[in-house]
Amino acid sequence: MRLLTAAAFVLSLASGAAHAATDIDFFFPVPVQGKLAVEMQRIVGVFNAQNPDVHVTAVYTGSYDDTNLKTRAAIKAGHPPAAVIMSANFIREYVINDEVESLNDVIRQGGQTPDAFMAEFWPVLRINATENGHVFGVPFQNSTSLLYYSVAAFEEAGLDPNHPPATWDEWVADLKKLVKRDGNQVTRWGVMIPGTYDYLGWIASGLTMSNGGEYYNHSWGGEVYYNQPSTIGAVQLLDDFVHKYKVMPEGITDTNAMTTAFFAGKTAMMVLSTGSLSFVRENMKLPYRTAFMPAQLRHATPIGGGSLIIPKGNSPERRAAAWKLITYLTSPAVAGDWSRFTGYFAPRIAAYDLPEMKEYLAAHPDAKVAVDQLQYAEPWFATFNTVGVRKAMEDQLQAVLSGKIAPRAAMEAAQKEADGLLRPYVDQTALKLPE
Amino acid sequence: MPALAGVVVPARHLGRHARPAELSALLLLAPSLVFLLAFTYWPVLTTALRAFTEQRFGQTAQWGSNNFFRLFADPHFANAARNTAVYAAGTILPSLTLALGFAVALSDSTRLNTLLRSVIVLPLLIPLVAAASLFIFIFLPGGGLLDWHLARLGVSAINWLGNPDLALGSIIAITVWKNTGYYMLFFLAGLAGIPAEYHEAAMLDGAGAFTRFYRITLPLLGPTLAFVSVIALMNALTQIDHVVVMTQGGPSDSTNMLLYYIYQQAEQNYDTGLASAATLVSVAVLLALSVLALRALERGIHYES
Amino acid sequence: MRFKTGILLAGAAAVLWVIPFAWMAVASLRPQVAGAQDVASLWPGGPFSLDNYREAWSSGHFPLWYLNTILVCGGILAVQCVTVSLAGYAFARLRFRLRGAIFTAFLLQLLLPPVVLVVPNLLMITQLGLQDHLTGIMAPYFASAFGVFLMRQNFRAIPRDFEDAAAVDGATTLQVIWHVLLPLTRPGLAAFAVVSVTTHWNEFLWPLMAVSSPDRQVLTVGLASFTSGAESGSEWGVIAAGTALVAAPLLAGFLMFQRRFVSSLVFTGLK
Repeated sequence: MRLLTAAAFVLSLASGAAHAATDIDFFFPVPVQGKLAVEMQRIVGVFNAQNPDVHVTAVYTGSYDDTNLKTRAAIKAGHPPAAVIMSANFIREYVINDEVESLNDVIRQGGQTPDAFMAEFWPVLRINATENGHVFGVPFQNSTSLLYYSVAAFEEAGLDPNHPPATWDEWVADLKKLVKRDGNQVTRWGVMIPGTYDYLGWIASGLTMSNGGEYYNHSWGGEVYYNQPSTIGAVQLLDDFVHKYKVMPEGITDTNAMTTAFFAGKTAMMVLSTGSLSFVRENMKLPYRTAFMPAQLRHATPIGGGSLIIPKGNSPERRAAAWKLITYLTSPAVAGDWSRFTGYFAPRIAAYDLPEMKEYLAAHPDAKVAVDQLQYAEPWFATFNTVGVRKAMEDQLQAVLSGKIAPRAAMEAAQKEADGLLRPYVDQTALKLPE
Repeated sequence: MPALAGVVVPARHLGRHARPAELSALLLLAPSLVFLLAFTYWPVLTTALRAFTEQRFGQTAQWGSNNFFRLFADPHFANAARNTAVYAAGTILPSLTLALGFAVALSDSTRLNTLLRSVIVLPLLIPLVAAASLFIFIFLPGGGLLDWHLARLGVSAINWLGNPDLALGSIIAITVWKNTGYYMLFFLAGLAGIPAEYHEAAMLDGAGAFTRFYRITLPLLGPTLAFVSVIALMNALTQIDHVVVMTQGGPSDSTNMLLYYIYQQAEQNYDTGLASAATLVSVAVLLALSVLALRALERGIHYES
Repeated sequence: MRFKTGILLAGAAAVLWVIPFAWMAVASLRPQVAGAQDVASLWPGGPFSLDNYREAWSSGHFPLWYLNTILVCGGILAVQCVTVSLAGYAFARLRFRLRGAIFTAFLLQLLLPPVVLVVPNLLMITQLGLQDHLTGIMAPYFASAFGVFLMRQNFRAIPRDFEDAAAVDGATTLQVIWHVLLPLTRPGLAAFAVVSVTTHWNEFLWPLMAVSSPDRQVLTVGLASFTSGAESGSEWGVIAAGTALVAAPLLAGFLMFQRRFVSSLVFTGLK
């Protein structure tokens, strides 16, 4: 009897120790495809097996926007997730609303200075990940926009597939040759861009930056530059594609209608994220290539993607467990694996020193283009009330693409609405002068 | 209200120790009232409170009606209101007309009629998001069902959901497809309630089909018509699942509706004050229109009896 | 009103009406071949294949969504039956001072569908700690003014003799309701059940906002995320199959119990 009791006692101690594993939840979005969610679960499973003192439950929370909503809801309900892959351009808002933990302390505990830590990531990524000298997000997956083009279409139009357009002039010239008409029906468009919310603004920001502009204030979340000539010029280009050169369809093209058209040879070019590289590779049966976004005054492309953050309101144990997960997920090996699986580029510079990555880039030139374009990458648009301010621009741009309004008037309207949305923040910061 | 709200207490014997009707009634009503208060009236109250609470970034909350000023000055709200009105008219009128037409044409109980009626009623049974899934493909520009078949007729691709001029119409079409069958059921029941003698007598008097319709059928369907109109109105104001899933209010705000605007302000802009003000306005409009329609219903019933 | 043209027009309209379902059936059963061009065709031509259903089943979480939906609809109905029976009896049989006022309070609820009160209700269930639980989806529907009116009508139609006899035998109010009245209103309750389940089975916006964990999603929310995920793969056949999986139960129920369904929907509404 005593032996049984003792055994039970010991067993309960042992199971008690196993339950001392910190349970944390981890929200992750997958903006492109369902298979990525399965792969993420697998990666988390490996982490759990290697770290018996932490148990991570990975929760797939939809798109970047959905993940943001769910994280905010969870924070409001008092149960913030321990770690989240948050869209890189939403981090600023979390900082403004004091809803995210600064990671400087855990970084220092790991034996590095915040600067040294961030130096391990591509320079452009640091802008969205840090604020006022504090690191708030650790980049996990990133993309840039890419020009995908069909080799067959190029050859048919008498263009050299080895020389995709490098400037806006060349772009327009090529598009005029690539568009194919049958009477007054267009059988092949020159180019398509996604016209839906979030994607459209992202691409517009890239075109604006190509046109020399900044689009938004990188250091402070209260300013956007919609009605500046650089933005208006970029919008004019898109307007011309649709209405002047007629190489792009009118109205809003949704991403998946666009990829369907590209795969079917109904459009010669499309602008899409590098995050879709694997998806395009699997589904595009005709030969295609990728190229830098054409330059006007300079080469530029916005970055997209998500970084790992730790929302506020988590206990120190949960934060420590989350940091373990974060360091694992952003290690060069795991980051490299994820990059090859998805098509995102690995934010961790060291990932590209690993042999698997070198082989992969040699075998997949389309992925190499994405990495090479990084030297021209610019940060992702982030302000106070990012979604509202972004939509102010997108609604107007959608109207331009539908032929309802001219670029200049559209951008003035967008700026006015954006200023209104930014006003509460501006009043509390730039315009809050000492008494 | 007794502290027993929500707990069912065995009532004492009715016959001998009759508990006063008041207490019995309250106990029986308690479960429903608790939930009614918690999830209908309390929310209305808190919404009203929040609508009059101004909270700008970084400032303390204060009372005021600024949210309403902001609401009425917001072009997105004006768009949403206008779109909702267009959507309501665009769904109610066609679906009621079609429903009535189907009911009249298919009122006899033949096997063919039963089959046709079932087909028209089917959309009622699936969730609106399922309908949206199907229609995303139907409306897909270029390769979707409509455009693909139109292309074979030589019509160039139309962007049903991506063109600000067409998007609302496309959303309306989905709603009409979905709800007409439901309204048809009510009209069928209403028609069945009209005694055959009226029609026979009128036919003996030499009245043609149209005359009989306008003089007999329509007036006697009055109450049904009013009732269905109220339901159609409520549906028009509250069914936005397809907007959430297909267009997210776009393109360029062309499918933004009152309820979607509320959802956006609350969930995207975290502007509780604005969302609450918009909710109050919507509730007021809904109540006003419903009361008006119900008054017409009452008058219709009195006329009939 | 029997015109031949009427039937012809109605028949033509019915053909239009069935097209989305026809596409759903044809596209979901088509074998998986490359190219979206074929997908728009309404002509089956060729072998049937269950590949799309297999893929939809494995990439979605249909069993889980079914379970959650059944729990939600069942839970709502169970509580509603209790609340509406008790309240319906009170209005049907008892005279009390505030009857008119409370009745109006119920009446107003009919005009305030919960979906309009999504924002405050979300805050309410968060405060109650029910956010992200299935109970949170169910709670706002536990009181049903519609059900109360229905039961009131039903009870009023029953002659008092049965209750008086039971009362003489010493039955309590609850016993009277349970043993005497409810059995007599079975058709009415069944009708109410049909309407309630159909309504809540097809609900989307409220479950979307009330619950964020993927393992607590209901069919409608699951289907929406499934569609947007498969959409990016242009896997229309799979989307058609997934939609069919969601639509199947109620469609099947309707086809089997047509008359009951129809009379429930109409009967309850007109009352």
